[in-house]
Amino acid sequence: MDFSLYDFDPAIYDEMFVGEGEPRDHCRAVVEALRELPDDDLNTIQERVTRSFSQEGITFTVYGDEEAEERIIPIDCVPRLLALAEWRELEAGLVQRIRTLNLFLADVYGDCRVVRDGVIPADVILGCPQYRLAMRGVNVPNDVWVTICGTDIVRTHEGFMVLEDNLRVPSGVSYMIANRKAVKAGLRRLYRRSRVQDVEQYGSLLRQTLCELSPGGRPDPCLALLTPGTYNSAFYEHMFLAHEIGAELVEGQDLLVNDGFVYMRTTSGLRRVDVIYRRVDDDFLDPLVFREDSLLGVPGLMNAFKRGNVALANAPGTGVADDKSVYAYVPDMVRYYLGEEPLLQNVDTRLCRRPEDLEYTLDNLERLVVKRVGESGGYGMLVGPHSTPEERDEYAKTLRADPADFISQPTLALSRSPCLIDGHAEPRHVDLRPFVLTGNETRIVPGAFCRVALRRGSLVVNSSQGGGGKDLWVVDL
Amino acid sequence: MLARSAQGVYWMARYLARAGYLSRLLELQVQFLVDRSVEEIHFGWKRIYRCMKRLPPPGEQFLPEADEFALADSFTLADDLTFERSNPDSVWSAIASGRENARQMRHCISGEMWTCLNAAWLRIRDLEAVDIWRTPEVFYAQTRSEIHNFVGVADATMYRGAAWRFMRLGRAIERAQLAVSLLLAQIDLSRQTERRTLGWASMLRTHHALEAYGRVHGIEMKPDRVLDLLVADPSLPGSVLATVQAAATELGGLGGGPGVEADAAARRLAGRAEALILYDWPEASAPEELLERVDRSARDLHDAVLGAFVDYAIEDSPLR
Repeated sequence: MDFSLYDFDPAIYDEMFVGEGEPRDHCRAVVEALRELPDDDLNTIQERVTRSFSQEGITFTVYGDEEAEERIIPIDCVPRLLALAEWRELEAGLVQRIRTLNLFLADVYGDCRVVRDGVIPADVILGCPQYRLAMRGVNVPNDVWVTICGTDIVRTHEGFMVLEDNLRVPSGVSYMIANRKAVKAGLRRLYRRSRVQDVEQYGSLLRQTLCELSPGGRPDPCLALLTPGTYNSAFYEHMFLAHEIGAELVEGQDLLVNDGFVYMRTTSGLRRVDVIYRRVDDDFLDPLVFREDSLLGVPGLMNAFKRGNVALANAPGTGVADDKSVYAYVPDMVRYYLGEEPLLQNVDTRLCRRPEDLEYTLDNLERLVVKRVGESGGYGMLVGPHSTPEERDEYAKTLRADPADFISQPTLALSRSPCLIDGHAEPRHVDLRPFVLTGNETRIVPGAFCRVALRRGSLVVNSSQGGGGKDLWVVDL
Repeated sequence: MLARSAQGVYWMARYLARAGYLSRLLELQVQFLVDRSVEEIHFGWKRIYRCMKRLPPPGEQFLPEADEFALADSFTLADDLTFERSNPDSVWSAIASGRENARQMRHCISGEMWTCLNAAWLRIRDLEAVDIWRTPEVFYAQTRSEIHNFVGVADATMYRGAAWRFMRLGRAIERAQLAVSLLLAQIDLSRQTERRTLGWASMLRTHHALEAYGRVHGIEMKPDRVLDLLVADPSLPGSVLATVQAAATELGGLGGGPGVEADAAARRLAGRAEALILYDWPEASAPEELLERVDRSARDLHDAVLGAFVDYAIEDSPLR
């Protein structure tokens, strides 16, 4: 692999190089091996990785006006490397953060001490559309509100930072496993020599975690994964995970509630379901409680959940803790609930609901990233440095019309990692999404879905916006 | 097993059996285009359309008794039966539907089965009739072979649980219906021609039974013997009796469905179809009447299976 034209920029943290042509210590062996690998070989490996995704049908579906198209997330075969020590540091921060968020959720649906003690203004929580009144006073199994969390982490010269806590139905973990399988097959010797931490145990850890939520500790609980259906863009992942954890893959139509218990229709009658790993948003879970036009959910499901007859992972209402406005308060929450300093930093965030923050945002639009509070997936966002004056003027109008719906953050120089582009190495911006599982204890596999902005100069890593994936190797070198 | 998953696996098997059967019919039919008479070619097309219970595309006629018309028509007819997206039974549509059911039920089948089927799909996904028309028989043979491979891979890798039973049940019911349908078409069409043996040899080849016929009956082609072999020989995998018995076996292995009445009906229908062939066939004076009764049983069996295991009333279901 040719690194001679690699565009190293000292202003941007590079995951592989510490200086021009100078690999980081934990990357040295891999860089040397990649340098010796002929371009043709690497191109072949890249093609094989792409082909394996196609052959195995690891796709997401995009629906046009007339027909559906199955697409593959482009995967770059050059792994991103993280030293085990760095991973341990990140892991400790993630554990601290998820403990905090679970305490916060128990609190905001319970006594609301966090508001009464003045840590977070009441209107930030009560004004959040993801705050579910139906969850007030509800006890969740083991006090675990967030069983599966996919935290978006970025890195700059200042260290790791949390970009978003995804606490509702985070996706991407199937790509972590699929990327590993494909890249490992392509770079066999390199993989073996690099002592990469394994991620394949994710499925069994997830199963163990879900089983720990079993109502009343029922042994050998019946698990179901609730999917919105085959039209959902993450359907592959739902199917994959159902298979991994030995759960039935169910849609709302397969479930019914009888006398406060949830059952699924099987070929031998109705079978009680104990734990539901739901990949359906709160709004659609139960038409009797949330959106009454929902066809994806199960009437009576919330009643069964509140009576403790079925566990839902994640619990409804967790969205209030990953709201973009509430996010700004997470470091304060860590101090408040745990009495500790946060190990993972937030990105400096301004809430446009505050007049001084709105003014600052409007004055600095060309330097900031502005996001809508309720949007995700890179939609409804303005990336100041990449916008035109006309786009900024237009955006400022919508911002002024409803300031509470926006936050702004500085445009981060996200770290970059080498990618194979047109046969040679080029740097591209990356983030990573590790998955944190919480049952009786918190478990994290040493790996993540690493997203990469494949367009030159782009900072947007979302797959819906031209992003791709990479394998993340946590190496013990 | 989740009822909807059982239904998905059942339909997957039905669609793939349909695609495989039709590919075999077309493989032989396009071979006829090389050296057979126009009458034989037209006979073959009519039989396929009858079997699939479909009318040829509007505007296409079977009538012109000249080679050039026969060949031009054949391209259109093969296209209609192979790649026509709006024809739900075309080879392309049947594989697409089978693969889509498999995609949705991937957790119920083995990874090897999925990879095998997906590879077949990726090969034909973007093809059109013009792409295969230089050597169409190669395309059909390969497609048929891919479906045989899928069945073999399933046999070697799939867990013998309820999904396996439903898959085999779907395949057996589909094959029984298609075989009976083709036999009825053959009987009727051969009555309309003076060449009484027309089409019977290809019936044997369709069901991979030419060698078996030679071993049992010698080289003389007698329609009643062919019919007898294809209907009532339990040792021939594609015979009507073998497919009906396979359906009964899988049903027996499933145990009772929650839809109690439909379940009883399913077992009765499977038993009746088998009994008709075992006990009534040898003395049947009007074979097509008996085959029509088998056909009705096979079609009703489909409804009864879904009623017993999938669409049952919840009130009737036991709670577990």
